[in-house]
Amino acid sequence: MTEPKKLTRLQAIILLVALILTLFPIFWIVMTAIKPPTDWNASPAIWIPSEPTLINFKTLFDPDAIRAYGVGGVSQAATSAVIGSIIASVTATLLSVSIGLFSAIGISRYAKNSKWTPLVILSGRMFIPAAIAVPFVIIFSNIGLTDTYTGLIAIYVAITLPFSTWMLKSFVDDLPREIEEAAMIDGKSRLAAHLTVTIPLIKGGLFATTMFIFILNWSEFLFALVLSYSNINTIPVQLAKYVTATAGTLYGVQAALAVLAMLPLIVVGYFIQSHLARGMTFGAIKQ
Amino acid sequence: MNRQTETASEPCLEIRNIRKSFGKATALQDVAFTVPRNSLTVLLGAAGAGKTTTLRIISGLDEPTSGSVLINGRDVGGLEPKDRDVAMMFDNLALYPNKSGYLNIANPLLIQGVPETEIRERVLGIAETLHIGRILDRLPGTMSGGEKQRIALGRALIRNPAIFLLDEPLSSLDAKLRIELRSELRRLQKESGKTFLLATPDYHEALAVADTVIMLQSGEVVQVDSPQTLYDRPAHRLTAEFIGSPLINILQGRISPGEPAKLEFFGFRLPLPPNLSTALAAASNGFDVGLRPENLSVTTPSSATSQGELVDIEPLGPRSVLTVRNDFGEARILVAAADFQGAEIGTTLAVKVDHPEKMLFFDGITGRSLKG
Repeated sequence: MTEPKKLTRLQAIILLVALILTLFPIFWIVMTAIKPPTDWNASPAIWIPSEPTLINFKTLFDPDAIRAYGVGGVSQAATSAVIGSIIASVTATLLSVSIGLFSAIGISRYAKNSKWTPLVILSGRMFIPAAIAVPFVIIFSNIGLTDTYTGLIAIYVAITLPFSTWMLKSFVDDLPREIEEAAMIDGKSRLAAHLTVTIPLIKGGLFATTMFIFILNWSEFLFALVLSYSNINTIPVQLAKYVTATAGTLYGVQAALAVLAMLPLIVVGYFIQSHLARGMTFGAIKQ
Repeated sequence: MNRQTETASEPCLEIRNIRKSFGKATALQDVAFTVPRNSLTVLLGAAGAGKTTTLRIISGLDEPTSGSVLINGRDVGGLEPKDRDVAMMFDNLALYPNKSGYLNIANPLLIQGVPETEIRERVLGIAETLHIGRILDRLPGTMSGGEKQRIALGRALIRNPAIFLLDEPLSSLDAKLRIELRSELRRLQKESGKTFLLATPDYHEALAVADTVIMLQSGEVVQVDSPQTLYDRPAHRLTAEFIGSPLINILQGRISPGEPAKLEFFGFRLPLPPNLSTALAAASNGFDVGLRPENLSVTTPSSATSQGELVDIEPLGPRSVLTVRNDFGEARILVAAADFQGAEIGTTLAVKVDHPEKMLFFDGITGRSLKG
C-alpha cells in the first residue's frame, strides 16, 4: 500500500467542484422527496423543506394519499413497477453475467483473437437504441413477447451481454493463464480448472461486473417503455407516469420513487466495494 | 494407464516431428527426440528457442500443429493434461495466490483423493528436502522469489507421474541455493528412478545435472549428446558459443596453398588435421576455427606461434582472460592469474595452440560442424 498523495490546492478545488456537481442532484432529489406539494415548485426555490413529510412515499403505494394536499392523484400504484424492476433486472443480470463469464473465459483462453474481436463484440452497442427498438417491437409482437417479462429479460440480456463479456474478459486476461493450467496439470479437467481456479480468482471483477450490469438493467427505460402495456412495468417507466395531463408533474412523488430506486444500488455498492480492489493475483507469478 | 506395455528399453517420452506455428511464426520445426526412462534430460536453449513451447505440448496445454507425443509408448495427442500423467513446473511458477504454501504443494494429492495423513507426511517430506518447512502456512504473496520457486518445485515433485517437466526450475534462486538445489534435484532423480525433463537457458546447470542434453536453437533440435560431448564437439557454431565461459574463439581459417598444405588462422600456420583435410578443402563457404580459451597459451616465440598485442585482462579469480589482437582478429586466452599480475596492456605476446586435436571447424556460412 502506498501513502495517499497530498493534493495540490488546484487539484483539491477541481475535485471539490466535481464532487458538488455529482452530489447536488442527489441532494436535490432527496430533498424534493420529502417536500410537501406546495414546496415542489416554489419560487424562490426551497432548499431544505421546513415541514418534511413522507406523503410522497405514501402516495407511491396509495395513489389517493396525495389528494389530502389537494393535488390530483395518479391512477396506478408503484408496487407493480418495483416488483417488475426486480424481476427483470435481477434475472437479466444473472443471465447476462453467467453467459458473459463463460464467453469471456472462452474468448480470453481459447479463441484466436484478432484486432476485430472487440468491434464484433461491441458492435451491437453502436446502434442508437431507438433505431433497434422499432424492429424489436415488430418482431416481439409477431412472436408474442411484447408485454411479457420473458421478452424484456431477453432484450436486457442481449443488450448487456457485450458489456459483461467484455468487462469479464479483461479480468480473465489479467489472470495469468498458467495458474489455471497448473490446476489442469495437477489433475483437474479444463472445465473444473476454470470453475475452481479461474472464477474464484476473478471474484472481485465478477462482483464489479454484476453491479455494473445490474445498474444498466435497473435504469433501462426505452425498451421497457415500448414493450410494456399493462402486464409489465418497471421503475423508470413508472417515473415517467408522474407527468400527468391533469395535475402537472408530481415532482415530489417522482423524487420519492427515484430515492427508492437508488437505495438497492447504494446498498449493493457498499457491500461490493471491498471486492472491487484489484490485487487478487498478487504474488502468483514471478515478475 | 497401460503400464503393462512398459519395457525397459522403451523410451519414457518420444517426440515425433513436432511442428508448432503461431500464425505465421514457426515456434518449433520438426522437433524429434526421445527421453529414456529414469534419466535426467535437459532441454538447453536461449530464450525463444522453443523450450517452454515443447514442454507445453508434452503436457497437453498446447496442441502441436503437427507431429505426435508418446508417453510410455502411448500416443497422448488430444488428451487433456490431467490424463497424460505428467507433472510440470511453470517458468513463471503459477502458484495459487489464494492458497498457502502447504495447500499449493498438497493440491495434486487433494485432487487425487489421497488420505489426509499421507498427504501431510508427503508434503512435510518434500518441504524438508526443499528447506521450506517454515513457509508452508504462508500465502505466495508474502514469499520471496526463491521461496515461491521451491513451493512450485514441491508441487511438481510431490507427485509420482510418468515424467516430470521442469521449466527453468532454479532460475530465480540465489547462486548458493541454486547450486545446492541442483545437486539435490540430481539426487532426487537418481533415488526416485523417475524421468525428468528440465528446460534451462543456463549451460552450467545443463552440464552439471544432465545425462543427456537436447540443444534447441530457434525451434530446431541441433544436437542431442552427453554434456561433455556437447562441450567438446558442438555440432554448430552457435552451440559452441552458447556453451562455455569465457566465450569460445571463432577465428576465420583458410588452407594455404603449397606442399604440404597448412591450416592458417589468427597468424598460425599449423599442419592440417589429417582426418579433416578433405572436409576443409571441400568447404566452399570457407570455414571458421573454434578454439576454447583454455586451449591457447602464452609462450616464447617460435615457428608454431602467432603474435598479438595484449588489449585486455579480465580477472576471474584464480584465472584471468587475456584478449590478444592482431591483424587476423582477436583471441581470448585463459591463463593462471598469478602469471599475468601487472602485465601491461599493449605488450606483444606469443600465443600457441595447446591441444590441436581440440580444434573445432565450422562451415563459414551454415555454422555446422565440419567432420572428417
